[in-house]
Amino acid sequence: MQRIVQVSLNRNPWSIEVDAHERLQVYLSESAAALASDPDRDEILLDLEQAIAEQCKRRLSANAAVISMAELRPALEEIGPVNPSSSAGATPCSPTASSTPPLQQISQGAWISGVCVGLSRHLRLEVTLVRVIAVVLLFFTGGAALLLYGVLMLLIPFAPLDPQLPDPLSIPAKAREWTAVLRAKLAKLAR
Amino acid sequence: MLTVSQQIAIRKGLLEFAVLKVVGMGSVYAADILYRLQATEFATQEGTLYPLLSKLRRDGLVVYKWQESELGPPRKYYQLTDLGRKQIAALDLYWKIIDQTLRQLGRQSGLVTES
Repeated sequence: MQRIVQVSLNRNPWSIEVDAHERLQVYLSESAAALASDPDRDEILLDLEQAIAEQCKRRLSANAAVISMAELRPALEEIGPVNPSSSAGATPCSPTASSTPPLQQISQGAWISGVCVGLSRHLRLEVTLVRVIAVVLLFFTGGAALLLYGVLMLLIPFAPLDPQLPDPLSIPAKAREWTAVLRAKLAKLAR
Repeated sequence: MLTVSQQIAIRKGLLEFAVLKVVGMGSVYAADILYRLQATEFATQEGTLYPLLSKLRRDGLVVYKWQESELGPPRKYYQLTDLGRKQIAALDLYWKIIDQTLRQLGRQSGLVTES
């Protein structure tokens, strides 16, 4: 039997198994990141929470009250990843944004979490060069660069997964999940 | 034969138009819109529809009001604004122009070299 936690979906309390809860946090924090420049982000997130609750409820058998992966996974599949709608007036800086790729962590093709791949794309440098610099920095700072990497992992948003590229390796995939969970916990603490 | 990504690119630009048209049928909520689009080329998901509806509202093309429902919490029912109706008329006209242009471009008689 899985451990069960409480979660609020559009301000309504639900019981949910721990692994489904983690998956939910990943989905919600990825959605929040995708909507970062949307003025209605919070409202859309609440709408999505409501949709998730309704989809799960529809899939729960009559006498069950706890959401598990069996309900959550197909529910999230039906709702789909968040696809931000770029509004004409919403992002005044969009012309410059399109000339430089945004700083994001890129899980696909990453070794650890995608910080170096993301930096290389943002700065338009070879990823190998960025990695060499990172390793050199690691030696010269006696390991303190690891801390920097951790901070960057927490701060830099993750790029949405590109369906045309191969899936991330297991370490970047785990790093992505853990970071999302950790961010959700920090956000809760900050509240 | 169109590739999938070519089709996606065309649909992406037209989805907003399709959603406006569905909202134009009357007072609808998100699930109505998804259901109406489901069997068409414009089938979409909440993850795409919600941000789009928000944008349409910000652009002043649709408004929503909360309405109680028998099952579950109140829902947002969307309606076109006057601006939204004008936008649909403008899009209809623009679509006709594009369609005509594409047809004419394929005809020999339009070529300058013939004259």
